[in-house]
Amino acid sequence: METVALLVPAVPAMAGVIALTQWRRLATWVGIAATALVLAGGATLGVATAGGDVVERFDGMVRVDALSAWMIVLIGVVALIATIYGAGYVSAELAQGHTTASGARTYGVLVQWFVAAMLVAVSTDNLGVMWVAVEATTIVTAFLVGHRHTRASVEASWKYVVIASVGVTMAFLGTVLVYFATRHGVPDATLRWSELVSIAGQLDPAVMRTAVGLLLVGYATKAGLAPLHTWLPDAHSQAPAPVSALMSGVLLSVAAYTILRVKVVADITLGPGYLRVLLLIAGVASVLLAAGLLLAQADYKRLLAYSSIEHMGLIAIGAAIGTPLAMAGVLLHMLGHGIAKAVAFCASGEILLESGTTRIADTSALLARRPLIGGTFGLALLALLGFPPFSMFASELAIFRAGFAADLGWVMLLTTAGLLVVFAAVLVHGQRMLLGRPAAEADTGSRSRAVMIPLVGGLVLAAGLGLWLGPLRPLIDSAVSVVSL
Amino acid sequence: MTPAAVAIGMLQVVVLVAVAPVLAGVMRTIRSRLEGRQGPSPLQPWRDLRKLLRKERLITQQASWVFVLAPLVLVASTLTVAAVIPTVATTTLLGDAVDLIGVVYLLLTGTVVLALAGLDTGTAFGGMGSSRAMTIAALAEPAALLAIFAVSLRAGSSSLAAIAETTLSDPVGLASPETLLAFGAVAVVTLAESGRLPIDNPSTHLELTMIHEAMILEYAGPDLGLVEFAAQLRLTLFLTLICTLFIPWGMATTATAAAVGIGVAAWLVKVLLLGAAVAILEVGLAKVRLFRVPELLAAAFILSFLAVVVSFFLQ
Amino acid sequence: MSDGTLFRLLELAVGLSLVCGFVALWRRGLVSIIRALAVQGAAVASVALLLGIHEGQVQALVAAVLLLVLKAIVIPRVLIGVVGRTVEYREIEPLINIPTLLLAGAVTTAIAYLAGRHLTALAPGPVTQAVPIGMAVMLLGFLLLVFRRKAVTQVVGFLMLENGVALVAFLTTAGLPLVIELGAALDLLLVVLVLQVLAGRMVRQFGATDLNQLMELRD
Repeated sequence: METVALLVPAVPAMAGVIALTQWRRLATWVGIAATALVLAGGATLGVATAGGDVVERFDGMVRVDALSAWMIVLIGVVALIATIYGAGYVSAELAQGHTTASGARTYGVLVQWFVAAMLVAVSTDNLGVMWVAVEATTIVTAFLVGHRHTRASVEASWKYVVIASVGVTMAFLGTVLVYFATRHGVPDATLRWSELVSIAGQLDPAVMRTAVGLLLVGYATKAGLAPLHTWLPDAHSQAPAPVSALMSGVLLSVAAYTILRVKVVADITLGPGYLRVLLLIAGVASVLLAAGLLLAQADYKRLLAYSSIEHMGLIAIGAAIGTPLAMAGVLLHMLGHGIAKAVAFCASGEILLESGTTRIADTSALLARRPLIGGTFGLALLALLGFPPFSMFASELAIFRAGFAADLGWVMLLTTAGLLVVFAAVLVHGQRMLLGRPAAEADTGSRSRAVMIPLVGGLVLAAGLGLWLGPLRPLIDSAVSVVSL
Repeated sequence: MTPAAVAIGMLQVVVLVAVAPVLAGVMRTIRSRLEGRQGPSPLQPWRDLRKLLRKERLITQQASWVFVLAPLVLVASTLTVAAVIPTVATTTLLGDAVDLIGVVYLLLTGTVVLALAGLDTGTAFGGMGSSRAMTIAALAEPAALLAIFAVSLRAGSSSLAAIAETTLSDPVGLASPETLLAFGAVAVVTLAESGRLPIDNPSTHLELTMIHEAMILEYAGPDLGLVEFAAQLRLTLFLTLICTLFIPWGMATTATAAAVGIGVAAWLVKVLLLGAAVAILEVGLAKVRLFRVPELLAAAFILSFLAVVVSFFLQ
Repeated sequence: MSDGTLFRLLELAVGLSLVCGFVALWRRGLVSIIRALAVQGAAVASVALLLGIHEGQVQALVAAVLLLVLKAIVIPRVLIGVVGRTVEYREIEPLINIPTLLLAGAVTTAIAYLAGRHLTALAPGPVTQAVPIGMAVMLLGFLLLVFRRKAVTQVVGFLMLENGVALVAFLTTAGLPLVIELGAALDLLLVVLVLQVLAGRMVRQFGATDLNQLMELRD
């Protein structure tokens, strides 16, 4: 089992190395196989840890508990959708001349290493290694965001790298201060999360308050929570669609995962109130800000990016509540959001390839012209809005119920108001894109139907999860017990 | 005060007054030689002063009593400072009555009075020089005061004698960040207040680039002699201040003739070396544009601010 | 080396890094700003070296050498290469003028002192006394990052932020575990290389690296 835990990040890393070669077909197939293996590994680890067991190696450098296994499954599913779709996307970009052969090769390498970095971040016990991996994701995705060498993508990637790196540097200072706190008052200085949980009661509260605040600021920047979200709409809208799928679907959730880990330690040292207040402020601000900015959106990829901010806000609110029901909602929301956002971004990639523009005003009558793409995109939007039977309905319901049960009624009301605005905005924009009469004779388009298979599969999975958790149930129960009060 | 202390105090004033023009002459000669010219003799400023004092007094009709009194007030305030700063010994004539902050404000009185005189005649160049000089003084004052504060913190008192004695008894304390920062700040303030490059070129002939010279354009004869002497004494006093605050070795702490002799010799060497350093620096630097001078003085202010802050941090 | 001398040298090194921060705020020439950063990096590395000697920890010594090479030699060379390639040698007037920026730096230093005091309170001593100065260097890096207009200066501000964090790290903990130091150093180098490439692309797309031009994407 420890070998599986070691192989899970190693496989995509090696796939990335293979992608450095000139054999693009081979690299593509190897990449898809790698993400499939990651998913299989995640499932295996999930079975192993579902009872509360922990897989450990190298003195805590590699440690997979139920929460980590849940995240590995999440990364695996979304990465699988993104890489299968990405194969077709990159071929189309090459054919249309939007990228070169070396650009396609860079894409293949960096996507695999991106997945590997995220896997390292979720399967380690050492806060320092977790930090290094999160910073590595920024570095790897920088060139992915700037994949198309346009003015807008240069601007987006510059802002992304600077803001994310500054934020993550704050998190580094927080990590250093946690280490500092463990040097005084406890026998052994440590950065291992499992040890920190056991000694958390003896750490100096003043230093920990600063440390936890800095860690929150840093990782909240990577998670796209307001007011540290300014890089997100630019980066996620300029990146190629499969990369946006990975970034929105998984990277934000990995950052939220790090916040959850910090929260467990902070709640013991400082009491639950400290992070609860901070996370509620960030979460509600994110939801309201996203709601406001979604109303006047003109670009459908930015629309999806703001939707990510809104959902991360919901996750932050759920994390703030902290009860087992809320945490179950949070974890399920991460999975559901990952899948639905991946499908939405990939479908938007198809729309971009076909129409050449990301403006909402210039896209219309999708359902009539390209029913498969339009239908997938529309259903993904509905999933993101929390319609049943998609799983996000269940997770949002769980968070709201937990919120009311924890006497946070007015926060929930504010959030509901925000969600209603989001609902209206996305419906209006979606309707503008999907409905209507086509202006010219509808053509069937030159893209094959096969690229839509992963997307449709994702939608089916999202709907299925909303109805029945099935084998995931014991895993999510264990993960919740790791992280809740 | 004991008679010996009074004698030493008067000796200090005499030595300062005698050496000040010579120092200015030495700096001018060094600068000329470095620029490849023969240059005047170092004693030339004394000859110039003698010539000016013999000339007829000319005062324009537009001037008022401010113009007439300014050179006297300037020389008086500068001479008072000469009686305060410990030069050859740690005791001075007025050292118990006036501390370092008093020194700064006495020197500022001289600047203000001269600026008023520049305005008094109503000429364009005079007004221009006065406004520039006051801008520089206003920006250099905070830097000077904070640097004094930093230095006083270390000694526990703002009396110059106390500061000098603290440094003499604990030389290693000079290698601390706050002293080095304060030194940097005081150095920049010295250059600013005595009108040397890179802030003001003392040997310029172009009126539009003048700051100090522009204020005294209307003076002639004995008044000009007094003003020039005061400027030379000011420069010497600033350099002596740096010696006392940061390199006090050689100063007499006892009232014996031998110690005082060593004190005089040590001071001469130190002040001539500092003057030579300033002259060499002037040859290497170009004058900073006027609207960049606030940046330079802001940097000096920051240096002195950091000196204070660091001395609080690192106790 | 006696403890007293060691602490005095430590004070000097920490003070030097703070002064370098202000020099970078003050100067307009991009090459001078990068040189100030290089000197600051050397000062941080010497702090690590002194603390390694004091606590007898080999990992701090290794980290010190690594930091010296990285922060004082490699990264400044990369940045000067960027300046050469973008052929922009001077800063444009920043968003607030330089004396105001210097005063803002002075205010943030005072804030850092107030904020850092309770960190020092956990383990009072001559070494942790200097922690607020590390935080002040961080805040100076922030000011550079936010208020200057050239891309290279923004990178220098980010690196100064990192220098401040490294200072605080060494002063509080005498070095994190070596693995993490190596990882952090590698990350830093890679970030600088990434920004170097992006700056090159910026020049090709926009013609200059004035960050005020990056205004296309907004709502």
